[in-house]
Amino acid sequence: MDKKGDLIINGSGSSNGGTFSNVTINGKGTINNDIQCAEFDCNGSGTILGKVTAGYAKINGGVKITGDLEGKKVEVNGTAKVEHNVSVDRLKVDGKATIGGKVKAEEIRIKGRLTVEEDCEAEFFKADSQFKIGGLLNAEHIDIKLFGECRAKEIGGETISIKNKDALFGLFKSFFPTQLETEFIEGNHIEIENTKAKVIRGNHCIIGPNCEIGLVEYTDQISIDKSANVMESKKV
Amino acid sequence: MSEELVSKKELLELTGISYGQLYRWKRKDLIPEEWFVRKSTFTGQETFFPKEKILERIEKIQTMKENLSLDELAVMFSPNVADLNLSKEELLKRNIVSEQVLRIYLENENEPTYFDFSRILEVFVLDKLLQSGEINMDEGKMLLEVLKDHRGTIKQKKGDLLITRKLGVSSCLLLLNTEEFYFENGTKVVAQVSLMNCTEEMKAKLL
Repeated sequence: MDKKGDLIINGSGSSNGGTFSNVTINGKGTINNDIQCAEFDCNGSGTILGKVTAGYAKINGGVKITGDLEGKKVEVNGTAKVEHNVSVDRLKVDGKATIGGKVKAEEIRIKGRLTVEEDCEAEFFKADSQFKIGGLLNAEHIDIKLFGECRAKEIGGETISIKNKDALFGLFKSFFPTQLETEFIEGNHIEIENTKAKVIRGNHCIIGPNCEIGLVEYTDQISIDKSANVMESKKV
Repeated sequence: MSEELVSKKELLELTGISYGQLYRWKRKDLIPEEWFVRKSTFTGQETFFPKEKILERIEKIQTMKENLSLDELAVMFSPNVADLNLSKEELLKRNIVSEQVLRIYLENENEPTYFDFSRILEVFVLDKLLQSGEINMDEGKMLLEVLKDHRGTIKQKKGDLLITRKLGVSSCLLLLNTEEFYFENGTKVVAQVSLMNCTEEMKAKLL
């Protein structure tokens, strides 16, 4: 295999894209076309007018990608804005990520803020913070610790757990209402707190405190906390 | 669209699968996105599926998941057959082509070690037409040449293959995205196959 060169922008610069081994942007860089690389590292502000394919992408500054983002491992510590779809193996967001299309990943871990306009699919979805998903959140295991306001149009999966995040020593409580708002939750095993949903369907449903649910349909088991407000529940 | 629809809830009752499974299969692209039809009901928007298609698909998945992993299944169902690669034994085993026709095909082929999508389609079309007796051996060879020469262009497009005869002379045409076609009098269309349909038939056999 032939060795590919690196693209390094220190200061301000622009490039026309291409295939590289490493791409590093340390100041302000604009790439006017698609890039392919083994490693993508952006510490300053980067704009890519095209698609990014990277084995490992680390975004510490601010990045805007007008096309898709594909890769194995993507870490966002700063802010990332992807206008189209994201398809990666592992996505970790400690900063803020805004995605205009769909997200498809094996594993998604969020500690910062994630906004997805369309569907979000993963085998494993773990969120310790805020997120907003315009379409369906679909994952084998969904583990959400609420902090702030979370929203997803629909949630579906095998095991779904939505818990209120423990406030730090009871001092630093979120100023915003910690609540998850959704239309549907469908799964085999559902355990929720602080959730507002129109319909919940599952085999095993545990409705915790501060829930506001329109209808629960369950097949095996249900338990409803005293402080939860469930309009109707029926066994099917 | 007058297809009969089935709601997600009814579907789970009918098939006995769980929400987890359904969502897993959706994630793995075993169930195409277009089949998720949204409709308003009194509880809000609900998801519906084309009944016949989804039931057939779920039955297939259920019977085949014993032997194949979900990822392998996904390759089977995906419209993207680019990474399909079979040996000739597998082709025979899956009943895509008969042994005689495969031998004819291999005579004209230099590197017959593997079969990717284009080759499987070629040999499948040849088999289909020879078996039905619509064309003879020479026409079959002609057909193969046409298909081989235009391998690249066939893939994405809606193609039709036409074999005509006039005064005992036959010729083979490949039509891409054609709506209608006419010949002069005395030309007889011996065989016409849609490559799209063939692809589907072939895939059905692969499954």
